[in-house]
Amino acid sequence: MNYKLTIAWLYPDLMSTYGDRGNIYCLTRRCQWRGIGVSVLPITLENNKQDLKKTDLIFMGGAQDRQQRVAADDFIQNKGPILKEMIKKNIPALFVCAAYQAAGHYYKPYQGDPIPGASIFDLHTEHPGDQKQRLISNCAAKIINPTGLKGITIVGFENHGGRTYLGPKMKPLAEVLAGGGNNGDDGFEGGICRNAIGSYYHGPFLPKNWLVADWLIGRALEKKYGKEIKLSLLPDSEEKQAHQAILEKII
Amino acid sequence: MIRQYFAILIAKLVWKISTLFNLGAGGTWPGELALAIDPFLLKKLAQKLKGTIVIAGTNGKTTTSLMVKTILEGAGFKVISNSSGANLVNGVVSSLIQISSISGSLNGDFAILEADENALPAILDNLSPDLLVCLNLFRDQLDRYGEVDIITEKWQKAIRKLTQKTKLVLNSDDPQIAFLGKNASLKTIYFGLNDKIGQKKTFEHATDSLFCPSCGSRLKFSAVYYSHLGWWQCLKCDLKRPSPQIFNWDSPLPGLYNKYNTQAAAASAKVLKIDEAVIKKGLKRVRPAFGRQEEMEYMGRFIKLMLSKNPAGFNESLRTALDLKANNLLIVLNDRIPDGRDVSWIWDVDFEMIPASIHLTLSGDRAYDLGLRIKYSGLKNYLLETDLQKAVKQAVGMQVAGEKLFILATYSAMLDIRKIISGKKIL
Repeated sequence: MNYKLTIAWLYPDLMSTYGDRGNIYCLTRRCQWRGIGVSVLPITLENNKQDLKKTDLIFMGGAQDRQQRVAADDFIQNKGPILKEMIKKNIPALFVCAAYQAAGHYYKPYQGDPIPGASIFDLHTEHPGDQKQRLISNCAAKIINPTGLKGITIVGFENHGGRTYLGPKMKPLAEVLAGGGNNGDDGFEGGICRNAIGSYYHGPFLPKNWLVADWLIGRALEKKYGKEIKLSLLPDSEEKQAHQAILEKII
Repeated sequence: MIRQYFAILIAKLVWKISTLFNLGAGGTWPGELALAIDPFLLKKLAQKLKGTIVIAGTNGKTTTSLMVKTILEGAGFKVISNSSGANLVNGVVSSLIQISSISGSLNGDFAILEADENALPAILDNLSPDLLVCLNLFRDQLDRYGEVDIITEKWQKAIRKLTQKTKLVLNSDDPQIAFLGKNASLKTIYFGLNDKIGQKKTFEHATDSLFCPSCGSRLKFSAVYYSHLGWWQCLKCDLKRPSPQIFNWDSPLPGLYNKYNTQAAAASAKVLKIDEAVIKKGLKRVRPAFGRQEEMEYMGRFIKLMLSKNPAGFNESLRTALDLKANNLLIVLNDRIPDGRDVSWIWDVDFEMIPASIHLTLSGDRAYDLGLRIKYSGLKNYLLETDLQKAVKQAVGMQVAGEKLFILATYSAMLDIRKIISGKKIL
């Protein structure tokens, strides 16, 4: 059987500051190398909701403040509610950095009123003030949820001022090995709700964490074709080397 | 006066000591100390000159500075400048102190000062230049500089405080830079490209300013040169690219980005009332700056070294190397402080443009990240060597006589490669 997936790339021209494109490259190549048909549908301000509904896997990346403000209305009012529905139906998704924050209930700046989010994830973010340091560094964590990925390490780079706190409907993705994680306090990094993952490991999260990419592809196929589909193994030596090099650098 | 005298004396002493013992901090330390003793020193020293020119922007500062310097020298002026490693306030002061006498008189007519993006406001607080040249703003080392929009805001505030003495030289093709002139009461001259050659209709992925700096709507571009530089206009609020007064001057160096540097230099020289013929002649004499398309020889082979440190610049370096028929390429990625700790940006570089036939060698602190990036670009054949010295040797070894090795390297890697080539030890 010829499988085929459509990946929604949310706001590639707005929410794409730190090499976020790497995630799309990783997902598409890993499908192609396995003979899975794949297409990427960029979803930005001008796209309507119906385009989004046709997709099988969702990705949204990080942004600069101004770009995020430009996307915010459309995200909260138009795309957000659709995404929420899709995620409820187990469509897999990845939200990194600013997208992870924006998918929560709100972001509370140090001064001023909270900025509402899309409430896709049960979490909120607070900025502790200029006196508290931004969390900026290479980082690593060990996955605790989902069970299919439990025990593997993830590596990346984080750069955020906001501290994120998960609500009861959100499970933590991983335990911090190095770096700040969600808030620098509780020792957790990222979050997961059904098949939707959020992480502070910004930009190209998936290439060095290729097993997470495969997990997302696996869930997308499972959802679309209604059965478990075993993914063929790929030679991942470059991925392993780059992953290992970061672990050795910081742990 | 005594304070100034003392500040210069101490700074000169520290400078001597640090060069004598090779302490390596001679570029910034003396200035730091001098400013602590006399906070107004920069202003005082700059006043002694015929003019000061501050050059800011993500890419092209060093080359543009060199172009302006060469033109002014051709016009018979004595010009002093800071090196790119000394582009914070302390470095700028250090550079001036080095050529000042103890009494504070300067042996020069013009000072050309490169300003780090973050340091520009502080530098402008300390001196009012005759010319402020703003080249472009691209995402670069976000962990250190922060985001493009935040830098623009800081620049806007700093420019608002300048006196009528300062004239602005702005890039008309970069929306955020051009917008700096919109509400400024200062005399402004715009430079840009009006050439059909090199124009594209679509954007590359690495762009930062596609939305109106005034009203936030999506801008319409009728032509794109590279990244977000092009002919832009806002259909909603009528803000549009100002017509550049300076354009289409012949660039002495390859690459679209050097065309922009050339227009910026020519515009600056025009504002300083340099004769057009002298500008033309000066530009012809320009040779590549330190590590910027610098040509060198190593083991009997030719090397072109191109500093490439952010997506917009890297894409332009790659394009230029390929236009020059590069067949042998060494890419070096470091993640030290001057490079930026975060190497995520390599996923915004269009490595996909590299043809499969090219000899490709990868190295640097983050060689494995590069290897992974290259794998996902679809290229299969490359050599990865984490030891930089060996990597340079191997890459040179693959070279056919008469060919050039093109090296694209981040800042600290560029410095190391220059050391390797000149036979010095790298630490």
